[in-house]
Amino acid sequence: MTQTLSRQETPVSPPPPAPPRRKKHRDPSRFFRLYLPLVLYLLFTLIPFYWMLVFAFRPAGETTLLPWPITFEHFDTVWNDIGFGLFFQNSLLIALGTLVTVTVFAVMGGYALARFKFRGQRVFLLALLCTQFIPGAMMLIPLFVIFKNVGLLNSLTGLIIADTAFQLPLALILMSGFVRNVPVELEEAAMVDGCSRLRAFFAVTLPQLRPALVAVGSFAFIGAWNNFLFALMFASRQDKFTLPVGLSYALGEFNTDFGALAAGGVVAAVPVVLVFAVVQRFLVQGLSAGAVKG
Amino acid sequence: MKRLLVALALVLSACSAGGQDGPTTITFWDNNGGPGRTPIYEELIKRFEAANPNIKVEYVGIPSSSVQQKYDTAIAGGSTPDVGGVTTSYLAHLVGQDALEPLDERLESGPLKGKLLPGLLETVRQTAMDGKLYAAPASGNLDVIWYRSDLFAEQKIAVPDTWDQLVDAAAKLTKPADNKYGFTIRGGAGSVFQLLAEAYSYSGVDKFYDGGKSTVSDPRNAELVSKIAGIYKKSTPEADVNNNYTQMVAQFTGGTVAMMHHNLGSTADVMKALGAQKVSAMPLPKGPSGKRTVVPNPTDGFAVFKGSKNPDASWKFVEFLTSAESNGYWNEKVGQIPANTDVRGAEWIQKNPAVKMALGVLEDPATMLVPAPVYLPEYSSITKTDTEPLYQKVLLGQMSAQQFLDELAAKLTTAQQEWEKRK
Repeated sequence: MTQTLSRQETPVSPPPPAPPRRKKHRDPSRFFRLYLPLVLYLLFTLIPFYWMLVFAFRPAGETTLLPWPITFEHFDTVWNDIGFGLFFQNSLLIALGTLVTVTVFAVMGGYALARFKFRGQRVFLLALLCTQFIPGAMMLIPLFVIFKNVGLLNSLTGLIIADTAFQLPLALILMSGFVRNVPVELEEAAMVDGCSRLRAFFAVTLPQLRPALVAVGSFAFIGAWNNFLFALMFASRQDKFTLPVGLSYALGEFNTDFGALAAGGVVAAVPVVLVFAVVQRFLVQGLSAGAVKG
Repeated sequence: MKRLLVALALVLSACSAGGQDGPTTITFWDNNGGPGRTPIYEELIKRFEAANPNIKVEYVGIPSSSVQQKYDTAIAGGSTPDVGGVTTSYLAHLVGQDALEPLDERLESGPLKGKLLPGLLETVRQTAMDGKLYAAPASGNLDVIWYRSDLFAEQKIAVPDTWDQLVDAAAKLTKPADNKYGFTIRGGAGSVFQLLAEAYSYSGVDKFYDGGKSTVSDPRNAELVSKIAGIYKKSTPEADVNNNYTQMVAQFTGGTVAMMHHNLGSTADVMKALGAQKVSAMPLPKGPSGKRTVVPNPTDGFAVFKGSKNPDASWKFVEFLTSAESNGYWNEKVGQIPANTDVRGAEWIQKNPAVKMALGVLEDPATMLVPAPVYLPEYSSITKTDTEPLYQKVLLGQMSAQQFLDELAAKLTTAQQEWEKRK
């Protein structure tokens, strides 16, 4: 029935106009659907950076929208008066230390979780997830007492250990997922060829995990770099403080030095931006790379 | 594994102990560390060490926003400093944890006897349930209205003496088209504390509690709150409903507003941004009663911690910091009221109109002090989390001023009664 109807209609209706192929690229709705939201979102993310840069390079008390005349006095304040040089060095040591320990332990634990079956595995994974629900502030006093008893207060090592403890669970979960994605057949093939498990891991699996190492490592770096609470609480010596503590010096009880705050923010953001600039290549590669074809 | 850990702990503790000979070292935590204050303490410590070669002072600047948490953690972990900067706003909290040494006897038997402003000593004593002195007051603060003297002169407006005159002046100085406003309201964090100072300066009510009941809900206080709410959005920026002090100070120093209620603590900021030619301070205006009533700001001071292994050296340092010379140096730099009465005649006070004005207000026998009950453990939560959102409702016209003050008064009365019971 429907067939007859449609047959009757087809001859009367004019042939549909050929779609304007070349114009597809200039489709104005594409601008509204795609570019406009993206541009708005970009502005939304970039305005805080703009704000920070303007305040950092503009003389105090100016209200111009561009940092002109440009000044470096706020950088002088944070670097020389607040002592950002030492804080920067401490932060860098802690962040790199945390990066190394977290990555090493995450690879070991992640491999074990992905490749072996053991009793209580699910409970262990659940426990790892549960640790993420506990805020650092809650563990502050117990950790403080433990650190005091073993003499780890006022030391960068102590801060690396504390940061590692809090970063590791998530890193482990992430890493076990990455390891699971590397086909076990690759390792088995290597072992058939005479490799031990360890050698198979280093020769075959580890190279495949490069994007994972970068991802986990950069998260650990940034987590440790930004940690304010532990840095302030576990150190009671001026020369052991870190950048976030230094930044909060610009917020006084009665006054806020916005210029110094913004300049300090620029100094603190630079390494993170650099890390992401280098790392994003690996992160994208990690998504598209495949080890087995077909 | 256990053995390894024990051995590690032993090695580490052996490293951290040691060095018992030589000078005594005391640690000093500055409760408002940062580029403004740290150099002042560094200079004072240098002077102290030169005068006392057998005592070394290790300075640690704690960011003011986290100082309470830092003290709490240190107390819980048994790792307090020897001397710490404190203010009366959280002194009761530290005393409650039995962390501080009472200083009355040391003060009475030393050179500071009779030298510290009685009013400030009183505000410190009031914070402790046993009425003892747990911190040596070092500097006082006063709520002031910072105003753009240049704009007032330009438009030939007289400096207001009453709140009604201030409201008129604010209206005259407002030009929304140019993004200029006469006044700024602190509607966000810290709003209620400032509002209470404004309300009492207007009402002239001279007691915070009358027969155990809070006087906050006095209709004259409500009158002032209504007046302030009345100028919101008319003579103030609309964003004021969320203003904390940093935003207020930024608006004022940025030139958007002509008058701002804050305290002497912002002296350095406003002077640096605007200069003495453009800005002056006046006391909070009076109300119809014509009386000058002042709700004192928290007092800054130095406390000796009970955990100190060198309480004598620690007190010596506190004594040094509150001596006329050090106290004068410190307050000159930060622009606050020196606690040591010997500093009164110092030349710098004559040259600092804001401090001179504040001293004038505090020393005027007609001035009545109405100390807020900062000793109540709940005071901070009542005036912040419980009632700041209510004040925002008043500003937005969703609640009446009287209703808001009634709620606030009820909470303060209950807290006071519970405190009396525990006493």
